[in-house]
Amino acid sequence: MLEIGGAQVWRGQTHVLHGIDLAVAEGEIVALIGANGAGKTTVLMTICGLLRPRQGAVRYRAAGSSEPVDLARLTPEAIVGQGIALCPEGRQVFASLSVRENLMIGAYLRRDRAAIAADLDHVVSRFPILGERARQPAGSLSGGEQMMLAIGRSLMSRPRLLLLDEPSLGLAPQIVEAIFDILSDINEAGTTMLLVEQNASMALELAHRAYVMETGRVTLSGRAQDLADNPEIRRAYLGAA
Amino acid sequence: MTSYLLQQIVNGLILGSMYALVAIGFSMIYGIVRLINFAHGDIAMIGAFTALAVMIVAGLPLPVVILAVLVVGAAMGLAIEFVAFRPLRGAPQVNGFITSLAVSILIQNVAILLLTAEPRGVAFPAFLSERIPGLPINIDLVDILIVVLAVALMLGLVTIVNRTRLGMAMRATAENLDVARLMGINVSRTIMAAFAIGSALAGIAGLMWSARYGQIDPIMGFLPGLKAFVAAVIGGVGSIPGAMLGGYLLGLAEVLFVGLLPPEYAGYRDAFVFGTLILVLLVLPNGLMGRAAEDRA
Ligand SMILES: Nc1ncnc2c1ncn2[C@@H]1O[C@H](COP(=O)(O)OP(=O)(O)O)[C@@H](O)[C@H]1O
Ligand SMILES: [Mg+2]
Repeated sequence: MLEIGGAQVWRGQTHVLHGIDLAVAEGEIVALIGANGAGKTTVLMTICGLLRPRQGAVRYRAAGSSEPVDLARLTPEAIVGQGIALCPEGRQVFASLSVRENLMIGAYLRRDRAAIAADLDHVVSRFPILGERARQPAGSLSGGEQMMLAIGRSLMSRPRLLLLDEPSLGLAPQIVEAIFDILSDINEAGTTMLLVEQNASMALELAHRAYVMETGRVTLSGRAQDLADNPEIRRAYLGAA
Repeated sequence: MTSYLLQQIVNGLILGSMYALVAIGFSMIYGIVRLINFAHGDIAMIGAFTALAVMIVAGLPLPVVILAVLVVGAAMGLAIEFVAFRPLRGAPQVNGFITSLAVSILIQNVAILLLTAEPRGVAFPAFLSERIPGLPINIDLVDILIVVLAVALMLGLVTIVNRTRLGMAMRATAENLDVARLMGINVSRTIMAAFAIGSALAGIAGLMWSARYGQIDPIMGFLPGLKAFVAAVIGGVGSIPGAMLGGYLLGLAEVLFVGLLPPEYAGYRDAFVFGTLILVLLVLPNGLMGRAAEDRA
């Protein structure tokens, strides 16, 4: 579905990604783990077109279409139209917009009013708190509620590929559990996911496969279960002695 | 004395209507691109000359004049965005300030070349200056039309901003441009909409100015434009309701300053306006309705 090959990405004067190879297949949850500053967010920003690789390709093939598109040639708006949504680091809901407006703006490119209304109901049934707070400004929600809103907002575009940047960041463990359960449900309902996490144990538990990044390179990849059992990973990322 | 005070308040509301219409554009544009368009006041001048051309030269009726001013104002705003602001997207803020100052000077000088610096009288239809009978103060029909048109345009704007898909995109873009793009919003179009709408309103303010004061010239937009900028800052630059509030407060304050103090102080009215700005900023650095300093990446 998604295939990044040899991506070299600069941010300003800084060479951040030194040739990344990464693939996500239809239906998978793929985790991307690594220490702070490894370049995980940069990978996601490159996929959604906010950054452009100087070299390498970001190929994406939506289900049912035979021709892959090179995302590196598309604008972020067009990439949303391809069925890719990013739930950004630190949630970044629109604080001054109401909860409902935040959800509706997730469906900005869609014109199918009836289906949008149905999806809105569906998101609210997953996250009832968003229904209760529909008219409040999003800035008044708690961190966990904002995370739910950010996920709900990204679902409103009906993504085929959902990119999640550290959904556990700054949240209490029970809330993280609840959110990961919902992510699992969303995946089972047919949405492919690329999950960036520093919380490696949660991510490896949820994901089918995983990549480990260090300073702009992929250093390890494989089945999530195998990585979770790998002694090196356990020492570096899972806090095992 | 009360009727004198009432008269001053009415005059303040009329002046405030014009300041508010111009201030809105400053705030809308700043809200999205984080730049002050110093050529914004000159669009009011262009609106005034458009009115002159359409009404006196072409002899068309008032509703057509208003429509023409809206269209020409919007087109000027789009042109300024395209020529001066778009190439600077992502550049340091100061580049944008200096460029828009240059655009302002350019517009004024081209206007002087084409139209001469000589002020011109604009003869609006006589019925506009008919006095409303039976009032203790002097109000002409044109005064009422100015305030009514200003309020109607502002209500229309508030409706667009709060109730439409475009308005939602504008608010989202103003809050976080990158995340707005991730929603599929074409921010270039949103920026163009802000320039077009804000500039159309400034054009109308120029039309009102010429209808009320009867004289226009190529640099007429400069000082009122600067004062409308002050109004926007007082209201909290970036906030549309703030710009409206700031416009009316400044119009009232300026007229009352001149009207209530002994005549020898009247010459200080501009100093008073800019002094008010300094005072407000000392007490409320973000203006009356502005948001706290933002931490945009
Ligand atoms: N705007 C920027 N300009 C220059 N360098 C940046 C910028 N943002 C991040 N970086 C650098 O890019 C590297 C990777 O950052 P990031 O992708 O955010 O890492 P991660 O998400 O894995 O924590 C870091 O070393 C960071 O310092
Ligand atoms: Mg990150």
